[in-house]
Amino acid sequence: MEFMKKSIHIITGVAALSAMISACTSRGNNPGWEYAPDMVYSKGYEPYSQGDSNTINPHGMNMREPVHGTVAFGKEGYLYPYANTAEGYEAAKGLNYPAGLEDKEGRGKYLYGIYCSPCHGATGGNDGEIFKRGLGKPSWKNYQDDYIKNIPVGQIYHTLTYGKNLMGSHAYVLKPEDRWKVVRYVKELSGAGIATAAPADSASMKKTK
Amino acid sequence: MYKIFYLLLTCFYICSAKNSLHSSMIRHFKPLVFSAILAITLSLGAETKGNADEGKKIYEANNCGSCHNLDKKVVGPALRGVGKRRDIAWLTKWIRNNQALIKSGDADANALLKEYGGAQMSTFENITPAQVVDLVAYLDLPKPPPTGGAKKPGVPEPPKSDNTLYILLALIGIFLVLLLILNKVKNTLRKLNAEAAGEELASSNKNWLQRLLPARLANMNQVVLALFSFAIVVILGGGYLYSFGITEVGVQKGYAPKQPIAYSHKLHAGDLKIDCKYCHIGVEESKSATIPSANICMNCHKGIQKRQDDESGVDISPEIQKIYTALDYHPEKSGAEQFGSNGKPIQWIRIHNLPDHAYFNHSQHVKVGKLQCQTCHGPIEKMEVVQQWSTLQMGWCIECHRNTGIDVANNNYYLALHEKASKDMKENKSRSKYFGPDGKVKVTVALNGGLECSKCHY
Repeated sequence: MEFMKKSIHIITGVAALSAMISACTSRGNNPGWEYAPDMVYSKGYEPYSQGDSNTINPHGMNMREPVHGTVAFGKEGYLYPYANTAEGYEAAKGLNYPAGLEDKEGRGKYLYGIYCSPCHGATGGNDGEIFKRGLGKPSWKNYQDDYIKNIPVGQIYHTLTYGKNLMGSHAYVLKPEDRWKVVRYVKELSGAGIATAAPADSASMKKTK
Repeated sequence: MYKIFYLLLTCFYICSAKNSLHSSMIRHFKPLVFSAILAITLSLGAETKGNADEGKKIYEANNCGSCHNLDKKVVGPALRGVGKRRDIAWLTKWIRNNQALIKSGDADANALLKEYGGAQMSTFENITPAQVVDLVAYLDLPKPPPTGGAKKPGVPEPPKSDNTLYILLALIGIFLVLLLILNKVKNTLRKLNAEAAGEELASSNKNWLQRLLPARLANMNQVVLALFSFAIVVILGGGYLYSFGITEVGVQKGYAPKQPIAYSHKLHAGDLKIDCKYCHIGVEESKSATIPSANICMNCHKGIQKRQDDESGVDISPEIQKIYTALDYHPEKSGAEQFGSNGKPIQWIRIHNLPDHAYFNHSQHVKVGKLQCQTCHGPIEKMEVVQQWSTLQMGWCIECHRNTGIDVANNNYYLALHEKASKDMKENKSRSKYFGPDGKVKVTVALNGGLECSKCHY
């Protein structure tokens, strides 16, 4: 009986050890074991660190919303003069493509490929995967449509800034200059091209103080 | 509409059948039949107003669906039964040129504009008044009964508990115990047998370890034997634990936590082919690739509220509803009221936890190094649930920095390195370090300081 007891002890010991070891392999919801976690998690506040929930800020977040009226990083010192209203859209007709802004590196095309083509398609045929799967298409057929050929550049810029109908604002990702480069590429796709000889002092790139 | 068609068909049939019927009968009946059919047709025509099939075509050709849905508010109002709410003359004016109607001071038109927060509808002067009648006929069709819809929405599968390993271990344990018992029985029987024969078994006064071991070892000094076996256990076990410690502890490869929203990278990045940068907007600009804010979701999910193949019969998928809840967004309201002020951030669970004492910058690798996301994150476009693909161990970083060649010649970022390298090569100074094992020029990340401690630890 002594022998039996011993072997049972050994077997359960081995089983428990294997179970413990397998529990520290990361898999599924289990991140696994860590050594010295105090060197892994930042004590200082970092935007995405999850060491301890922040007890001061709302929702336990480390990031806070900027104070109202803050000019965001990346605004490049330009302020857009028109509001997101029907009047603003109408007024945006007066905006011209900024004089002297060129796009030799094809940045407009690059950005179009990332931010526009999922819906509007690689060449503006309104045939991107998302439009194919049932998100409502715009009322015009494609970028070669007269609607895009004739629409003032300022209104495309306005639409990129605020969004229109089901399209959301893309100002969060396209800086003012990038937005103009995308407008330029859209006009190139339509075949209409862009009038580059715009007056230098257009409202489109008015500097703030 | 079909009624008219059938009546005309009947008429045609009667007319064409005159050869087979008795001619005198036809002569008497024809005027009567014709007038009757004409009267019925006219009365029916006045009743149905327009061709709903044509209306559907007009609805689709003008992409009305980009702002409207028949049964719910999208950008504009739900349109089913609009012909019963508004009269046709007003609708014709509104559809063909709503802006003129608003400017004319029409009370209904201005109320509508105000209700939808000033969002203006495009003008459709290409739609003729007759087509408006067809369109309204289509919009007034009753709602079709839902197809399918038997499945209950959003019932999650019971979580799979991963206990196969424990079951296996338990089974092994049971078999071992059985083996030992049987062995014991065998020995006892043998012992009994020997006693009965009047012999004494040689092994009867050995302990269990001695019996297990071959005779040469078993006859050794017991203390030496114990120490020896202890040493073996310590070396094997220690070696195992050590290798386990360096490959598993603190390494989160394979970590795939359940996220608050069952977001599928397979669907979005794989099937829909949305570029990673569409959502992870910081990847070229900053240290972190950034977790997309909910407004990025809304660029599509303002319009898409469930999967196209969703047959559960719900209007809004429960997962997409979570985005709406996070933003306090109410699609059924209109204008500025759609967004409330009680938004709550989505608490995504961080998967890649690089320790605080190591620095990593996405823009350096993606914008400068021109690496694909998949190099480190694996086939993310095939992952339903994202898991950590790489070990993120220091050895993993170093290996890549040692072996990856950089395109010094065509990348302005490496201008200084390129000048130095070409100067060194011209002066025949430390030439060999610029060549790979195959004899071709290869400038690695390591040559640009990619192995310096302070690059990542400071």
